[in-house]
Amino acid sequence: MSSSDSSSSSASDDPNPKLKPQPLESQFQSSLTLEDSDGVARTDDASVAEQQQEQQDEGSGNGSVDGVVNVEDNGHRDSSDREEGIGSGEARDGDGGSGGGGGVVWRRANSEVELEVEAPASPSSSGYAGGRGSSGASSASRADDASEEDEIEVVGNDDGGAVGAPDSQAEWTPGKRHVDEDDASISWRKRKKHFFILSNSGKPIYSRYGDEHKLAGFSATLQAIISFVENGGDRVKYVKAGMHQVVFLVKGPIYLVCISCTEEPFESLVAQLELVYGQMILILTKSLNRCFEKNPKFDMTPLLGGTDVVFSALIHSFSWNPAAFLHAYACLPLPYATRQAAGAILQDVADSGVLFALLMCKHRVGTSLKVISLVGAQKASLHPDDMLLLGNFIMSSESFRQVTSESFSPICLPRYNPMAFLHAYVHYFDADTYLILLTTRSDAFYHLKDCRIRIETVLLKSNVLSEVQRSTLDGGMRVEDLSVDLQQHTGSTSRVEDKPHTETPERIRESSLVGLGGPAGLWHFLYRSVYLDQYVSSEFSSPINTHRQQKRLYRAYQKLYVSMHSKGIGPHKTQFRRDENYVLLCWVTPDFELYAAFDPLADKALAIKTCNKVCQWVKDVENEIFLLGASPFSW
Amino acid sequence: MGLASVNTASEGMQLCIFDLRRGQQEGQELDKILFFFPADLPFATQLSVIGLSEGLITFTRIFSPDAACEVIEAERHSHVFYEAESDIWMVMVVDKSKESKAACQVDALRKVLKEVHSLFVLFHGTMRSMLEKETSGGLIRSHLYPFITDYLSGCGDLNLTCNFWADFLIGRKLQLPSFHDCLMERGTVQMLTVGREAAIEVQSLVKVLECSAGTTSCYSLVLFQDLLVSTTLSPDDTISLFTYAVLRLTPHALSSGATSWSYLQRTNAGSQVPALSTITNSGSVSDNIYRSQNNCQVKRPLHHNRWFRGNDGFLASDIWGTDNGSQTSVTPIVYLQLTEERMYLCAYQHKSLTIILLVPVSSILNGEQGLSLVKQQVLENASLKMLMVEEKLSKGWGGENAYHVSGYRYLLVDDERVSRASPPAKVMTLAKESLLALSKLREEVNLEKKRAKCSSKLEICVRAKNGAWVIARTSRGKELYMVLEKASETLLYAADSVEKFSNRYCSGVFSLD
Repeated sequence: MSSSDSSSSSASDDPNPKLKPQPLESQFQSSLTLEDSDGVARTDDASVAEQQQEQQDEGSGNGSVDGVVNVEDNGHRDSSDREEGIGSGEARDGDGGSGGGGGVVWRRANSEVELEVEAPASPSSSGYAGGRGSSGASSASRADDASEEDEIEVVGNDDGGAVGAPDSQAEWTPGKRHVDEDDASISWRKRKKHFFILSNSGKPIYSRYGDEHKLAGFSATLQAIISFVENGGDRVKYVKAGMHQVVFLVKGPIYLVCISCTEEPFESLVAQLELVYGQMILILTKSLNRCFEKNPKFDMTPLLGGTDVVFSALIHSFSWNPAAFLHAYACLPLPYATRQAAGAILQDVADSGVLFALLMCKHRVGTSLKVISLVGAQKASLHPDDMLLLGNFIMSSESFRQVTSESFSPICLPRYNPMAFLHAYVHYFDADTYLILLTTRSDAFYHLKDCRIRIETVLLKSNVLSEVQRSTLDGGMRVEDLSVDLQQHTGSTSRVEDKPHTETPERIRESSLVGLGGPAGLWHFLYRSVYLDQYVSSEFSSPINTHRQQKRLYRAYQKLYVSMHSKGIGPHKTQFRRDENYVLLCWVTPDFELYAAFDPLADKALAIKTCNKVCQWVKDVENEIFLLGASPFSW
Repeated sequence: MGLASVNTASEGMQLCIFDLRRGQQEGQELDKILFFFPADLPFATQLSVIGLSEGLITFTRIFSPDAACEVIEAERHSHVFYEAESDIWMVMVVDKSKESKAACQVDALRKVLKEVHSLFVLFHGTMRSMLEKETSGGLIRSHLYPFITDYLSGCGDLNLTCNFWADFLIGRKLQLPSFHDCLMERGTVQMLTVGREAAIEVQSLVKVLECSAGTTSCYSLVLFQDLLVSTTLSPDDTISLFTYAVLRLTPHALSSGATSWSYLQRTNAGSQVPALSTITNSGSVSDNIYRSQNNCQVKRPLHHNRWFRGNDGFLASDIWGTDNGSQTSVTPIVYLQLTEERMYLCAYQHKSLTIILLVPVSSILNGEQGLSLVKQQVLENASLKMLMVEEKLSKGWGGENAYHVSGYRYLLVDDERVSRASPPAKVMTLAKESLLALSKLREEVNLEKKRAKCSSKLEICVRAKNGAWVIARTSRGKELYMVLEKASETLLYAADSVEKFSNRYCSGVFSLD
């Protein structure tokens, strides 16, 4: 039992983790001792088993009891009702199917569902899907989604034009859908993009669509293909058939497979599988390999129970979040002084034993994550992919999202150290702005709470939070603004005169007919600073108004990125590409990469000139759109 | 048992043909295999290759019922699939670690399979019909083996069947397309540009030729050097016959020692160089299944150096044996693809001019005798015209660099049937990086083409790491690929160069607006 302190399970295992002082070495126990064989593997296993047992004893009602500890600011709980407290908290959150019970009793992460449309739990929820389940399968937003996101081949025809809702990203509800399907259903076969995680013994762990249990046979087939090729001393990368691609990624005992007809290049899909794997590591750490070493038939699904929502949100982000293929993060545009102020207080905290301190905000459109400021202790640096995965984990789990609540959860940063858990303290200052403090100490809750209070005080005093709100309303760079004299914009991206970019459908439809955009037919651009690991994206403007159009542009960028960075011969220097949809221009230098989309009829010479202007513009305002200097990447 | 043993046993390439309608019962799996190279692989290994292929064909049909598996890309091997006829699959497995030119286009490999198949059909009819004729499969196996071997082998003069496989192995390395071939297009014909006057001459020659046979349903193909001058055949038959002619009939092909500049012939030129591949002991393979039939009765239309020019100017070959009565060699019969009509293939050569006349078998009553009458007629009616045409074409002929455009390295493909390209010798001057970049770009364009189905306009200009511009344009069924290697050129300069080229050589198809 004592061993449990070392693992993810500490929170729920330990009656009162935050009060119990821990010896310093045990903070690193999981990372350090994993090196030495069985001992810890056993403990890990044991603790997992114990937890399962515990949960079973307790009754499986609280599906989302887990390593995430939610502490209400105003409520004190004693140790014994801690878990129940969490459970009830979750239930209140609208944890639809948590009662499903199935075989899944232990959850590491919260599985609450955020339903914009409050739907009652569906009785058909398999229990497997945890909170998400199939609840609300009939809700209106769901139906809307089906055409936009779920991408049945026939329905989701990309050139459908301006069909969908103008900004349906906001309406996308995370979580698993179509659990009623399996590989025998036509609709399942026609889904545009499947993701599967399975174990090397062929046990399904996760499927984007359909019920994993029903997909056991299919999963075994995937396993057979992989191992057949593996037996021949080779490793299968992908299979192509018509417009379909089956992409395989083997990560030790974990197999990941994507089956897609989205025309994304192989390189993109395999990068996405890497991220899916990373997300799993973030939740469980790589020490799960031990479990497979001990027992090849090990069933991982209970460990991931309820995290469907995290994976589906991540997969969803693959079709709109440039961070997923650029391997860079975006910052919220802020006056330089404001960001400095935020950075200073974070730095202050980092010096007091916090490994990473991140101040983030959710972007207006969708749930895109933008960094306000971030600081790492000493030489620790945070990989953009880790930020993406961490942000996705936090934003897709409802339990984190309670304003004024605090959460403390073990997480692993796969790029930082895939073997060890860190502990994340998460607090939302308001609906959009939140703070993440990462530490190696599982007993640091109160310390981090104090840090947060200090930070909050400073942020309020220096008006950072209000600046953040203003910036989220104002949005970022707009291609339209490039048309006028560039000088006007130097030093200011936040434009007071601009009315909030509220997208009433009328306005969208109007402007999409006009098709304005920027000068020389510039519609959109992405600029990635190579040294900063950051990118800036212009706001979508007409005619890229609908989600469908945005997604198509996103895919075009993604293809362009792969084409420019093709393995072995890349990166290319420049690329000009004109097809029926766009003129795309890409420019890769050691310092930056620029991706720009123009009207397909744009003039080549003017487009080039405009790209130069964009680069100049970005340089002029880089103080505001990027996090400079203070970042851990600057050395 | 798996592919591991395959790796060690093979020389880096496997090629198999199997029929999914056969051997469905347990224990009869071997019956599926119509062809397998290398034949000395244990059957279990052969079956495991076919098993994987079959498994993936079934698996991919779950999601893509209309287009099953096309390629399996693994770390060390590429498996390229081609469904030659319904349920008859050709699969080529290329070992990437052994093929140093790993970056070959899958589409180019598939075109090799396609070419083998269409040549096979040209001489033997469809595989399915052969399987129906003789259900045990012995007939087709005995035909496929020498045929594919001859196709892939580069060097000639190996008439000993015991050297069969050695022959194959030497040719292998030279035959597989690689990124070096990204400025050529297999499965297309290359045309000679002729002036108006010459064109009229050719026209009248064609008319005379087809009248000589006395029937209206014969066809002709006129080649100058390795280029097509005129055809009255359907596009598909033209491509097959043109391919065969360039491989075995044209003056270059006949004098196999001569250097050639056609892509179809490059292997011959290459075989002069000592082959890198060691001749393994597989040379002595005698596989019962495939040798069960009497080899002598199997015609080998692609057998090297078996065509020669007779005194009358007609090409003859002993491949099809000799006529008992007249001691003349038997004229081969080919199958037209659409009509499945059987035609006698008569080839006449005068200097650089090669004329192929296809006469319906049904129209000739008494075989070789009847044919020799037709030949006589042709000589009487058309020999003068042929002389004139040859002279005219020779005069206008600019030599093997005729289609070189200085400063450009290009490939122009029209409707996927006709292509023109910079001469291979000029393409050789390009840096490896440029060729790799173009090879990659062509893959992208192929994907776009597949996606768009109908021809769309596409323009891609890439400045590669080495500063070369690599360009692809598609427009109205035409494709243009280009490498411009002059450094410090701007995008506008590159675009301008394409524009100039398009205006001068492609009648402005790729020009803007």
